[in-house]
Amino acid sequence: MRHCLLSFSAITLLGLTSCRDSKITTYRVPKEKGPAITAAPAASANNPGATMANTAVTTANGPGLTWTAPAQWTAKPTSAMRKGSYAITDDSGATADLSITAFPGDVGGDLANVNRWRGQIQLPPLAATELASATNHLDVNGLHLTTVDFTGGSSSTPQRVLGAIIPVANATWFFKLSGPASLVGREQAAFAAFLQSIRAPSATP
Amino acid sequence: MSDLIRQFRDFFVSLKLTVVLIALSILLIFAATLDQVNLGIWAVQQKYFHSLFVMWRIGDIPVPIFPGGYLIGGFLLINLIAAQVYRFKLTARKSGIWLTHIGLILLLIGELLTGLWQEEFALRLDEGETKNFSESYRSNELAITETTDPKFDDVVAIPEKFIARGDPIQQAKLPFRVVPKIYYPNAALAARDANTPGAATTPATTGIGLQATATLLPLTYKQNERNAPAAYIELAGPEGPIGTWLVSADPRFPAQSFEYAGRMWKIAFRFERSYKPYSLTLLKFSHDRYAGTEIPKNFSSRIRLNSPDGRDDREVLIYMNNPLRYAGLTFYQAGFENDDKTTILQVVRNPSWQLPYIACALMTLGLIIQFCIHLVAFIARRRPAPKAVA
Repeated sequence: MRHCLLSFSAITLLGLTSCRDSKITTYRVPKEKGPAITAAPAASANNPGATMANTAVTTANGPGLTWTAPAQWTAKPTSAMRKGSYAITDDSGATADLSITAFPGDVGGDLANVNRWRGQIQLPPLAATELASATNHLDVNGLHLTTVDFTGGSSSTPQRVLGAIIPVANATWFFKLSGPASLVGREQAAFAAFLQSIRAPSATP
Repeated sequence: MSDLIRQFRDFFVSLKLTVVLIALSILLIFAATLDQVNLGIWAVQQKYFHSLFVMWRIGDIPVPIFPGGYLIGGFLLINLIAAQVYRFKLTARKSGIWLTHIGLILLLIGELLTGLWQEEFALRLDEGETKNFSESYRSNELAITETTDPKFDDVVAIPEKFIARGDPIQQAKLPFRVVPKIYYPNAALAARDANTPGAATTPATTGIGLQATATLLPLTYKQNERNAPAAYIELAGPEGPIGTWLVSADPRFPAQSFEYAGRMWKIAFRFERSYKPYSLTLLKFSHDRYAGTEIPKNFSSRIRLNSPDGRDDREVLIYMNNPLRYAGLTFYQAGFENDDKTTILQVVRNPSWQLPYIACALMTLGLIIQFCIHLVAFIARRRPAPKAVA
């Protein structure tokens, strides 16, 4: 009796562990609506969709911009959100950060984004009527740039932001240099030259 | 009992075997944890735990180098059952140990059945869209569909492994043979301009393959990525080849139509589908945030569940920790995309999902009973003998 029980459990176990085998199947289904048989999203094949862990970080997948960074800027690793990232350090160890990000659509418009940057250096938001006087415009290699230059922060540690907003295809790109006002001021000319180097992929020199 | 059988029994009843198996499983878990860096969690589960042996490739030959999870778990299970049958007597004093062991046996069986039977699929629904199928996270299939009938499609679904094998496939419902010519387990697609002199040659003779080429990519094991296999498929009728198509499981690659023998067909490499006898419609996906912030508060999908027999036609709300359980499947809120207009539900079939709960309950009960038995015996021993009354 005991042998039977043991043998039975061993055989059942072996039976269970024999592999499931996939087979060719045939079936009839009601016709699908829509032109294509693949109803999956137009996202990258390597991205099975957003999960709860990576919410609200949709970056633009359209044509990428290219640029040439000054030699004294140190490239940092890019991330899911950043298309480009540089650190600028002076002799005293102060560091400024240059970030390049891109998002689909207009991301709330220029006013919202300009005010977001102002908020980061403790400046009050601008009204819609004040936006035009607070921004400048540049045309570079066929791209239209909206640029800003704000200084805020506290009187003991003033902070400055130099930024450019560039609509490209159906996305918006943001180039932002932020950090201690003195360091950012020193890099202002380099940043202006950097903006001149930005190109759309199809633009020719 | 012959000596051989006795030796066999003693081997499986032995406590030494238990110790060796536990030591082996510690080593297996340690190695698998380290290898997770290279392979990701899913491939590690398949290689180390859902296998009889861990294989190592020497050249093209897979060589078993270590017992896998099924072998160690299986031996542990037999060892535990054998010990129970031959060593422990069922007495009231041992009832707690019996219950605990039965719980442990159930836990091992539950894990085995989960590994064998559990299936996971994804169901993507745009708002207003109705679907009666979900798609596999990892498996792909070549679907050849006859679309002649105005109401129905007749599908022949060929799993990816048949394409990988490369042998010609003859299926009774198809008037042609399917001959996989080239197969890439993961591929990148690139545009090809046939008019440019020196354009790369392509094995494709018809369809999108004339304007696109596929090149081999290394396999990805990352958890948030999937491989997009591609293949060049020749269809051949009795009179000779009909054409060679490039097909890809990349979701952007559409199905391709053609006509053969007066009937209309479509060919597509796609995520493996699992059809249901009912349909789900996404009425609304909600992504609630805490006021004034982008911090997610809740994700929920309002779904209409409809079965054609009319038994079910109701609305359900699926949100985190509140899945829909229906017809043996569990639909979890798993993700979203497309600017909050598309929901992704994880569809899980696990017929043995209750076993771990039952096992844990039995083990807890067993341990409590055994503890109480010992406690009562201990108190009884400590109680001083009543003093004689003068």
